[in-house]
Amino acid sequence: MPRIALATESRFDPVPAKLAIKDLSKAFGGRAGVTAIDNLSLEVRAGEFVSIVGPSGCGKSSLIRIVAGLDAEFEGDVHLAHANPGRLLTAMVFQEQSNFPWMTVRENVSYGLRMIGRLDAEGRKRVTEYIAKVGLARFENAYPHQLSGGMRQRASVARAFAADPEILLMDEPFGALDEQNKVLLHDELIRIWEETRKTVLFITHSIDEALVLSDRVVVMSARPGRIKDAFEVPFERPRSVMAVKADPRYGQLFKRVWDALRDEVLRTRCGEERGGE
Amino acid sequence: MSRDSTVADAGGRVVGDFRIIERTKKVPGPQERTFERGLGIVTPLAFVLLWEFAARAGWIDLRFFPAPSAVLSETWRLLRAGDLVAHIGASLSRVTVGFLVGAVPAVGIGMAMGLNRYIRAALQPMIDATYPIPKIAILPLVLLVFGLGESGKYAILAIGVFFQVVITTAAGVAAIDRVYFDVARTFGVGRLALARTVVLPGALPVIFAGMRLGIGTALLLVIAAEMVAAKSGLGFLIWQSWQLFAVEEMYAGLMTISLTGLTIFQLLRALETRMLRWRPINVQ
Repeated sequence: MPRIALATESRFDPVPAKLAIKDLSKAFGGRAGVTAIDNLSLEVRAGEFVSIVGPSGCGKSSLIRIVAGLDAEFEGDVHLAHANPGRLLTAMVFQEQSNFPWMTVRENVSYGLRMIGRLDAEGRKRVTEYIAKVGLARFENAYPHQLSGGMRQRASVARAFAADPEILLMDEPFGALDEQNKVLLHDELIRIWEETRKTVLFITHSIDEALVLSDRVVVMSARPGRIKDAFEVPFERPRSVMAVKADPRYGQLFKRVWDALRDEVLRTRCGEERGGE
Repeated sequence: MSRDSTVADAGGRVVGDFRIIERTKKVPGPQERTFERGLGIVTPLAFVLLWEFAARAGWIDLRFFPAPSAVLSETWRLLRAGDLVAHIGASLSRVTVGFLVGAVPAVGIGMAMGLNRYIRAALQPMIDATYPIPKIAILPLVLLVFGLGESGKYAILAIGVFFQVVITTAAGVAAIDRVYFDVARTFGVGRLALARTVVLPGALPVIFAGMRLGIGTALLLVIAAEMVAAKSGLGFLIWQSWQLFAVEEMYAGLMTISLTGLTIFQLLRALETRMLRWRPINVQ
């Protein structure tokens, strides 16, 4: 029964975690096809920021699309605990430019709330608030083509937060940005997240990004994707990017995560040299 | 632009004599743009003057190529008599009605085809098979079915416009980046809201391109239909002037069609610019 079950309407036992994934498998191209995810299990507690780090093509994006409800073809169980059915359960920040080009920044950030019928006075206040929080107040009437890549991703982040979902899904949202913009956006995300403490599942290929942002870093294996290892991130909150990087534990933890990831990256490289799978 | 100089390394030691090449910048000034725009006016004006001169000097056959001044005075006469206005009005109302009757359902069906694979599978082969038929070829059939009244003219125009717009609309919807549909789905957007907030605005640039093609087809068909089956309109005026060998009147008709078409395209462009304000300027 490969379906996403909401805890509020579930025939399963009450789920202790906010997000519980059990024995999830995903294959592309039928039975003889490629296995993208193989028996993956993962739990994310309420209010926890979890990053998934893995080599390219390990099924990270497939995983988050399944959780987001964008892909219903999988095996296994995905449980999401919906506390308030009147509220949006999940919102997603996409890797690529996903602001509607035909809407202004303000219209884009309002979109989620407008579509779930919650763009009332309070909703509009949230929109204004989040546009200001990501530093786009002066650009709220600008169209996406007038913005830089970093500003567009800021608008995407604001759109997801403004919709006030219970779980926030982020699929390599800063993957296409330059290093300097990334540092600024990381600090902004940390600040906003620490204010809201939403449950976050964050996909990235950057160990650095995962350590700076998360409470827990989960390493995924090369295809077929499985959980290889997980690391608690000890840095105190409130955090800042520079404080984390100056912490001596940062280098040690970076090395431990890299040691877990290294073999997997090498495996994907061998795979490529042999001409794919 | 160059000069000779010695060049030193990081330690301050001279490493030799070099010729220093200076890269210079060239910025096109505003006068260049004015000149470009001026060329677009001066060239046709010079051509008309040459034509006028050639006509007066007797270098060209006035029976086929009357002087521009004669065409202008004939146009003025037709305008004052009210004939021209009536003909323009007749053609324009046919184009307007025919275009709307063709384009509005075309946008709807094109969107449905772009969104639903079954609707596309059901309609695409039929459209592909009938699209290549020159619409003028079915004019007699349309006249047979709808008769010689206005409805026949509306029908042939609507058919011509429909094909252009339905094909481009379906292509425009299919070309919308999938991520925008994903965004809508993550917010649980329903079909109608999806059409309004994603599909229509996303396909609109391509729909406008289709409408420009559709207007072109509509102008072609209205003239053709009026030549064979009307007692009014610019097509009728030109056909009649051929039969009466009123060449100046024919040129007046041609000039009017050109100006009318230009005006319609400009209006469509203005509408497009207004509705697609979100696009980068250089694309338009």
